[in-house]
Amino acid sequence: MSTPLTTTTVRILFEGQELEVPAGISVAAAVAGYAHPGHTCKHPVDGSGRAPFCFMGVCFECLMEINGLPDVQSCLVTVEEGMQVRRQPLPESIKL
Amino acid sequence: MNRRTDLLVIGAGPAGLAAAVSARDCGLEVTLIDEQAAPGGQLFRNIESPLGQQALQARERAQGMELVRAFRASGAAYCPKTTIWGLEPGRVSCTLEGVPATLEASAIIVAPGAMERPVPFPGWTLPGVMGAGGADILLRSGGTLDKDPAAPVVLAGNGPLLLLLAGHLLQAGVKIVAWLDTGCWSQRLRALPLMPAAALDPAYLNKGVKMALQVLKGKIPLIRGVSDIRALGEGQLEQVSYRKRGKRYLLGAATLLRHEGIIPRTHILNSLRIEHHWDRVQRYWYPLLDQDGATSIAGLFLAGDAGYVHGGDASQLKGSMSGVAAARYLGVISKEEAADRSAAPRKQLQTMRISRGYLRHLFAPHPQLFKVPDETMVCRCECVTAGEIRKAVAEGCTEVNEVKLFSRCGMGPCQGRMCGPALAEITAAACSTGVESVGSLRIRQPFRPVSLENYCDLHHPLPDQQP
Repeated sequence: MSTPLTTTTVRILFEGQELEVPAGISVAAAVAGYAHPGHTCKHPVDGSGRAPFCFMGVCFECLMEINGLPDVQSCLVTVEEGMQVRRQPLPESIKL
Repeated sequence: MNRRTDLLVIGAGPAGLAAAVSARDCGLEVTLIDEQAAPGGQLFRNIESPLGQQALQARERAQGMELVRAFRASGAAYCPKTTIWGLEPGRVSCTLEGVPATLEASAIIVAPGAMERPVPFPGWTLPGVMGAGGADILLRSGGTLDKDPAAPVVLAGNGPLLLLLAGHLLQAGVKIVAWLDTGCWSQRLRALPLMPAAALDPAYLNKGVKMALQVLKGKIPLIRGVSDIRALGEGQLEQVSYRKRGKRYLLGAATLLRHEGIIPRTHILNSLRIEHHWDRVQRYWYPLLDQDGATSIAGLFLAGDAGYVHGGDASQLKGSMSGVAAARYLGVISKEEAADRSAAPRKQLQTMRISRGYLRHLFAPHPQLFKVPDETMVCRCECVTAGEIRKAVAEGCTEVNEVKLFSRCGMGPCQGRMCGPALAEITAAACSTGVESVGSLRIRQPFRPVSLENYCDLHHPLPDQQP
């Protein structure tokens, strides 16, 4: 499915990289489908890299830092112009 | 907004939208709250935008657009981007666009829908491995699975959604290197005697046949009788391995999409201790409801696939009936009027259930699906393996909540949504008993993580935050 021309787009920043994505989609879908970043979060228990799995609010694997706020379920947030998105890092208090 | 209303509907999928429309039509004041930013649920996701519309076949697209149009015109109050985390009879606690709120209603219809059955296997936490439903959402958002759109994709599992996804991937020009079929043929054969009834709903059958033909035309290599699927790679999926007739095979892949059927989302009713029944063919729990979706708690209804998975159009009918039943419960319409309003959807739903009875067997999950190796991470949140669950059983645990206490399986942020079914299946197998005998996770409220700040604000509002 190619993106139709009639769809309006917004620009977000993922790890400083500008992405132009259709308006109305979720941050998780925008990052996974347009930036292809590999992992989007470091898991606080085993430190492994994780990425969105269900895209519909069930799995909690899509946690990212959105506009400075950590631990956001990015599949439940809609992209907005100028939004700053970062990978969820390992909390500093956690040593593996 | 109004914090007290006649009817509160939770969920803006086919069931929730139809419930709101029919209840408004009966004269109720209705507020609908939903987690997503736009109405439609999963089936009709983004249906108001061209991107969402083009993902659907013409008939479904028209149906979804009409439903959302009717909802928008109904006069129901609509709260998108709202996560509910508490529910008691007549009252809901939620976070409404970041602000905590309590909403009160004389009746509540819960319509949380369904989700993919989470099936753990070694490597399923690697980036590059996704649920088929998740991948479909990604495609429907205009994105691609990999940086290189031609990178190899492996499909694995059994279920109608996999067929739909394969069609969407072929349309997008994605290279599917294999379809690993995990279905159970002795179960599938049981679907045969029920197949003739499918003729009662020719449009639906036609849709299925069309999808299957499209996949056949796509010449996807279909590998039957597959078990013990594993995802391999360093920090990212690189290979998929599987077993067939005792032999192990390897495939190079950038993406692995697994689907093992769809199950009701039961957390909300579970937290209220509503009685659930076990479906031994589809292997899931579903709540005990009357024919209009009424639960054992007065004034609390459940509509749609969360009651039993019959599909989107059936959910819409169930929603309409629940809306009418809520109006009847509140005494706004007479018994006769309620019967009259529900007659048509009830009849349609009955036909649908008979004509689709075969699907229960055709897409039955394989009973050996959860026979995963010890190193498999079952609980993705707390990193608990199948081996640790089996160890807890060996040490004397015979019930899933005991295993949870010993192992932490199900204690993470997803609250057992991703590991609950597997935890029960693995525990049951280790106890040499059935899933019905090992219980299911006791869900406690809040059934969604809520910040302490939001929780405290709700219960002790600061003077300037009084609603």
